[in-house]
Amino acid sequence: MATTTAAITLTSADLLTDALSLSATKTLHKAGSTVGLDQTTGMAKAYLTATTNIDIFPTLIEGSMAFAGKSSWVYICNESEDETEYAIITISGNVIGKLYAGDFLWMPWSQSEDGHGNNRHGDIELAPSVDTGMWFTWCCINEGTEYPTAV
Amino acid sequence: MATTTATITLSSADLLSDELALTTTATLTEAGNSTGIVGTSGLGRKKTSGTSQYILFDGDAYANGAHKVYLKNTSTTAAQYFTIEINSEQMGKLYAGDWCFFPWEANADTNDIKIQPSAADMVLEYMLFINE
Repeated sequence: MATTTAAITLTSADLLTDALSLSATKTLHKAGSTVGLDQTTGMAKAYLTATTNIDIFPTLIEGSMAFAGKSSWVYICNESEDETEYAIITISGNVIGKLYAGDFLWMPWSQSEDGHGNNRHGDIELAPSVDTGMWFTWCCINEGTEYPTAV
Repeated sequence: MATTTATITLSSADLLSDELALTTTATLTEAGNSTGIVGTSGLGRKKTSGTSQYILFDGDAYANGAHKVYLKNTSTTAAQYFTIEINSEQMGKLYAGDWCFFPWEANADTNDIKIQPSAADMVLEYMLFINE
């Protein structure tokens, strides 16, 4: 069992009249338990030169029985330094939001099969706003990895 | 203009053979510029009274923009979770003590963020940073 922690700090001296200083730390556990998550895709770093959607976790079989009811966490960071550049993040083809330069996300991922009949299942996709080259990093920390059968 | 920062740290000494020690800091800005976000819902808590699905943030109530969402399940019972749905798509489950932070576009009235607790009397902590 591995011990992996995710912590966030949100701070601002001037967003509100009172200072914002919020912190949260959590050890990543398997679903409904206190057993640590023990699998990961590893941290990927990619330089994308097209604005087409890509599936950022193509080796994972989303919607598979292995993932049913399991816990997965996703980190994505837009490493661009141009404030106008963003990536549209979607799940099963539905927009979550735009990740602008320097922004990151940290979210749970059910990898559940969707009901849209488009065979995208629980894909997390990323579409850069420009084709002139943007850097991204991402990883998934999870349980229940199932890999596609070789053909 | 306000300056608000979000810092994430992912760490593990034994997930891999090499240590995981990642820290990223983002200044929360409006869409496509460097102006700091000035709107917020404030830090709030919602106590659920049943296991029905709730609309936490209505996509129709906010302009299309670079909003950011913070959510935390304050439960201490490992099996209790909130199912997070966005744009009618299940994103994931937030188990006891889990938190998440993600961008939200609010690009349509269907782009609601919904929560569904696995048990009654659970408490979700939330904060929306609004691109006004």
